[in-house]
Amino acid sequence: MEALIKLEDVFKTYQLGKVKLDALRGISMEIGKGHFVTLMGPSGSGKSTLLHILGVLDLPDKGKVFLSGRDISKLSESELAQARGKQIGFVFQQFNLLMNLTALENVALPMVFQGHSEEERKKRAEKLLGSLGLKERINHRPSELSGGERQRVAIARALANDPDIIVADEPTGNLDSATGKEVMEIFIDLHKKQKKTIIVVTHDPNIAGYSQEVINILDGKIVKNHGTKSKVLWKK
Amino acid sequence: MIKEYFKIAVKNLKTRKLRSWLTIAGIVIGVFLIVSLFSLGEGVKQTLTKQLKMMGGDLIMVFPGEVSDIMTTLIGAAELSESDIKAVEKAEGVDLVIPMKYKALVSRFKGEQKQTLIYGVPFKNGLSVFTDQMGWVLKDGTWPRIDKREVVVGSLVPEEIFPGMKVGDEIIIKGRPYEVVGVLVSLGSKQDDQMIAVDMELYKQITGEREDTAPFLMVTIEKGFLVDEVADNIKNELDDSQKRRRGQGEETASYSVITSEKIAGVAGNILAVIQLVVYMFASIGIVVGGIGIMNTMYTSVRERTKDIGIMKAIGAKNSTITWIFLIESGVIGFIGGVGGTVLGLALAKTIEVYGQFHPVLYIEASISLFVVFFGLSFSFLVGCLAGFLPARAASKLKPVDALRYE
Repeated sequence: MEALIKLEDVFKTYQLGKVKLDALRGISMEIGKGHFVTLMGPSGSGKSTLLHILGVLDLPDKGKVFLSGRDISKLSESELAQARGKQIGFVFQQFNLLMNLTALENVALPMVFQGHSEEERKKRAEKLLGSLGLKERINHRPSELSGGERQRVAIARALANDPDIIVADEPTGNLDSATGKEVMEIFIDLHKKQKKTIIVVTHDPNIAGYSQEVINILDGKIVKNHGTKSKVLWKK
Repeated sequence: MIKEYFKIAVKNLKTRKLRSWLTIAGIVIGVFLIVSLFSLGEGVKQTLTKQLKMMGGDLIMVFPGEVSDIMTTLIGAAELSESDIKAVEKAEGVDLVIPMKYKALVSRFKGEQKQTLIYGVPFKNGLSVFTDQMGWVLKDGTWPRIDKREVVVGSLVPEEIFPGMKVGDEIIIKGRPYEVVGVLVSLGSKQDDQMIAVDMELYKQITGEREDTAPFLMVTIEKGFLVDEVADNIKNELDDSQKRRRGQGEETASYSVITSEKIAGVAGNILAVIQLVVYMFASIGIVVGGIGIMNTMYTSVRERTKDIGIMKAIGAKNSTITWIFLIESGVIGFIGGVGGTVLGLALAKTIEVYGQFHPVLYIEASISLFVVFFGLSFSFLVGCLAGFLPARAASKLKPVDALRYE
């Protein structure tokens, strides 16, 4: 079976002022379709950088990234945007909703970029928000919603174009534990029922417990991979 | 797609209402300058062109002052003296010398009093010049008879100044009644169309001016003479006459002798300079407005860096971001353009209405579709141009960096 996402010896270096920071130092891995993967590691370990590269939000300095078999370094900026919009849904710790749009408009926005009609967008956004229990909140702006509600709007937005992959960066980091648990249950549900591939970054071991595979990262390298099924390969 | 981007752009502008309006105000001022100055400049040009067209090519004009100082002549009270006029009459090739006089006086019609421009016209020997070379045609009625208390009025008098006035009506000028015997067709300039023309003798009676001086002479030439030749003769005669009189201790004023052709040339040059200045000032206004837009858009890009990152993460292409920002600045430019055009036209119209009663310097505003179109499209264009660099800067942001921006 071909991997959905494949990394080959990926390096990423940041220049912070005069200091060079090696965020990723030779990462190779594969994530198969329909898997639930957790990336764990302390702050500064490079896990967020890795997530950004897995979500084609960023490109590696060295090494190759394949998304559905396509080498993303060969894609143009607009093809990358297209790939993000269609294949990948992002969920962030800070929710990252557009504050001047309503919940409905936020969820509909990714569909605007894919050229769906207004009617279609509205229908799907309403359905998604409804399924996440936000039926009464669709015309509220993010500032009028609680943290948990905001994160659910963000999840609905991530699902707008029915992507294969959901990439989440500490999705429960800004939520209390009860709300966090609810949000994680949504991810588990998406994985089980809709067969979405889910990649979550966290440093909360409880959350890691929900996933099938846990990848530990330290100093830009994979140090441990304890998956029940070893679909994630790593070298060194 | 563009429609959707437009909605997003408008929403963004609305989110920053105060700043959007302030930026729009900058453009309003620029376009306001362009439109008002342009309308007035164009109006002056049209008025002059019309008037020049009405004059035949074979007329010579004599007036006090230097051509280079035409404004002083127009505004000032300098007049050609009786001796000057005699000298002109003596020149070889001169057929008729027609003095023109005018004065603003209060007239009354059916109880309504208004300031009107009274022209003194030598109907006795000059009528043919007015009908043949100046384009005077009666719409209604007859020419005034000499020694009768009769007047003809310009086409706008019965339309605007004394509505309802018709041939046979009575008009009171300086307390005495006169009969309106004719109405002219439009002469092409508002000033001429608003006059009341009386015979020169009658004019002297009305105004109490006894001397045969005139602020302006029109000279026709005899058959077989060339205009420029006769103009030179007039100059020589005037020079000789003035030299003699200066010898006798009399003061003499400078004068100009011009053919109608040359007037057109001079007027054309003055207009060209006026228009150049107008364009310069107006472009400065627009450039300042454009810099305002650019400033606002750069601030906006900065402020919305995170939003740009979010939009890119959820599938917005670089071109999408460029479009949204371009539309925003274009909308600012366009709304500013609409506001500036409306205000500019309003000012031009106001000046036209209130600038009416100076006897000579008449300002007319020309409101053409072109000005409106120009004002709107130019401001929209400036908006887009000013927005282009900020929009590009926004689209070039890397999604990861933009997302990290706080």
